[in-house]
Amino acid sequence: MPLPPSPHAPLTLTGTYFDGQSSRAWPATLEIGTGAALTVTGPAAGAPGPLHWPATALRAEPALPGLRRVIRLPGGGRFETGAVAGVRALETRTRQNRVLGGVRRLEGSWPLTLGATAALGLFVWGFLTYGLPALARAAAAATPVTVLDTFDRESIQLLDTDDFLAPSRLSAARQAELKREFARVGDWAGGGYRYRLLLRDGEPSGAPFALGANAFALPGGTVVMTDQLVALARSDRELMGVLAHETGHVTGRHGLAGVYQGLGLALLGTAVTGDLVGAATFAAAVPSALLQNGYSRRAETEADERAGAYLLRAYGTTRPLRDILARLETEDRAADETSLKAEDPAPDDLLRTHPDTAQRIKHLREIERAAR
Amino acid sequence: MSAPTDPTPVDLTKARTASGPAPEPVAAPPAQIQVFPAAFTGQAGEYFRLWLVNLVLSVVTLGLYLPWARVRNRQYFYGHTWVDGHNFEYAANPWALLRGYLLVGVFFGTYSAAMQFQFSGWEWVAGGVALLFGLLYPWMVRQSLRFLARSTVHRGLNFGFGGSVGGAYMAYGVANVAAVVSFGLALPLAWYAQRDYQVRGLRYGAAPGRFRGGPGGLYLIGLTALGLTVGGGLLIGVLGALAAVLIGAAQTGGPDLSGDFDDLFSQPGVLVGAIAAYLGVLALYGVAWQYVRAATLRYVLNHLELGGVVRARATFSTARLVWIGVGNAAAQVVSLGLLTPWAAVRRARYVAAHTQVLSLVSLGTFQAGQATRESALGEAATELLDINLGF
Repeated sequence: MPLPPSPHAPLTLTGTYFDGQSSRAWPATLEIGTGAALTVTGPAAGAPGPLHWPATALRAEPALPGLRRVIRLPGGGRFETGAVAGVRALETRTRQNRVLGGVRRLEGSWPLTLGATAALGLFVWGFLTYGLPALARAAAAATPVTVLDTFDRESIQLLDTDDFLAPSRLSAARQAELKREFARVGDWAGGGYRYRLLLRDGEPSGAPFALGANAFALPGGTVVMTDQLVALARSDRELMGVLAHETGHVTGRHGLAGVYQGLGLALLGTAVTGDLVGAATFAAAVPSALLQNGYSRRAETEADERAGAYLLRAYGTTRPLRDILARLETEDRAADETSLKAEDPAPDDLLRTHPDTAQRIKHLREIERAAR
Repeated sequence: MSAPTDPTPVDLTKARTASGPAPEPVAAPPAQIQVFPAAFTGQAGEYFRLWLVNLVLSVVTLGLYLPWARVRNRQYFYGHTWVDGHNFEYAANPWALLRGYLLVGVFFGTYSAAMQFQFSGWEWVAGGVALLFGLLYPWMVRQSLRFLARSTVHRGLNFGFGGSVGGAYMAYGVANVAAVVSFGLALPLAWYAQRDYQVRGLRYGAAPGRFRGGPGGLYLIGLTALGLTVGGGLLIGVLGALAAVLIGAAQTGGPDLSGDFDDLFSQPGVLVGAIAAYLGVLALYGVAWQYVRAATLRYVLNHLELGGVVRARATFSTARLVWIGVGNAAAQVVSLGLLTPWAAVRRARYVAAHTQVLSLVSLGTFQAGQATRESALGEAATELLDINLGF
């Protein structure tokens, strides 16, 4: 980088010179104009003669708080000086350390440091609320459907072999009926997925824990529903409401997005704490789990909105889903939506993976009202 | 040893403001030992700002700035450590570190992706990465030591590390395996082999390092730590049992040991006792670990020699350093990490204030060794994977 004829006055820095070959310190001055000249001062036998370089060949080390500055010289030598202002002028002239010089200014001031910390808080909040979910959704949307199919196949294999689920006890005719009705939901949901309904007994003897009345969707379009849920419903409309909710998870690719979000949080935790397996990573596990619950609650609301849209189109009301949600919450076959009173958000909201049931019912009612 | 004299007391106020060159030590007659006290001039508030700003930048750049943050943090500690009017410098190239971080990140990313997604053949991928890591571990430690030494500068001369690959596999492979196989009996021997490897490989310029210690010193440290743990464990056990009996007596009017086991844990006193015992064990472990760390540092400093003319001397109290270490850990936990800079400065200040360099020659008479270029890969691996190198 050729230096333009300098309009600046020449700089004279006093300091210490090391030749890089010996640990001997020489008191010296460094004069910088268009060129640089180093002269050893004081009585020193065997001192090197004046040394000359172009000013652009000098490399200033980035400044650190409370320390003298170091200039690296061509040929391995170094010049240390307390003339901070002079070195800063050299940096400006030769356009060095512009980024780390800015970092040094931040480090030097309490208001700037605290401001940067506030900016960090804002950044982290924004990233966790909007950035990471958007990235995870994009990654989930970009995942090919064949990968999703593999995922479904292996998950079902795992669930069936690990005794969580047993073959359904419903009659073949009843199963066929439910599958026929689900096919209509699948046609409506669309998106090129291979929808299929699997009916299973959710409380087989010898299971490590009972799934009970439940339904869940796998990323590729496989939806699993338990006999216990079928028994809890008072009409097939209610079951279709639940299944439409599950197809909402499929078309929203929520399952896969959740996996990517988990991975993103782990990576972020590593970046912040700076180690991969240290104690700090364990400490980050709890906030990370809470965030995951937040993402999960948002996905449930989205799936409820899809289910609401299906129910309005098929039956003109969202009531069937509202009723069965209340029944799932109270575990009482006689219950309906009026059995739950809408309350203020519960204090344990952070710990939930699903929004409060009363809130969900309220939201479904709003969807119906908005459609009128 | 003749009475140490101090011909050039270090004026720290001068060093701190860095106004001018430090005076050369006057050439001393042969066999005259000069003592150069070390000092640490970092300040907690100043370092807190540096630490926080660099932490913020690391997060905002999603970790890409991490190498610069690591270098600046280390530069602050090296730069504020003074011997004979000259400070140390950490001269690592952040770009080299970034390359190493990314490479290690790719390997670890592959490993965690295999563990997370369990795609077909994941066992082979995860197993392969783990095996590769196990096999390369001593080599990475050696690379890390080379990089660290090469990046350390004092008075314009680089340190260096010349330990062999075979030596690394002996000290960090064979010795560690022996420590495990012998149920810990050979653990101090492994510690010795590792310190010996580290110090013997060290060079300042062309001056080679020598470790004057032996396995005996480290066995003494290991036995003391064992004694501390066993003694402390007994103390906690006795106190716990005593407290349980006293609480039981207070509640039922007499020691009731006939009760059901389930009932026992439903009593609030027992629950409190269990929590206290848990904290006690945690504290005990912390103290034992801090003791090994502090005592080893002291032992290594007191048995370190460079070029046959320079030795280090540590006069700090091991107990005091343990106290500082335990206090620091507690402060960091209570402050959710915000007191980390203060804790680091506090420890460095105490250690430096009680460390001296003894020399038969002027420290200005060392010559450079051959220059080498070091890869930052081992450094990145040991830092990211939290491998403890020991000092």
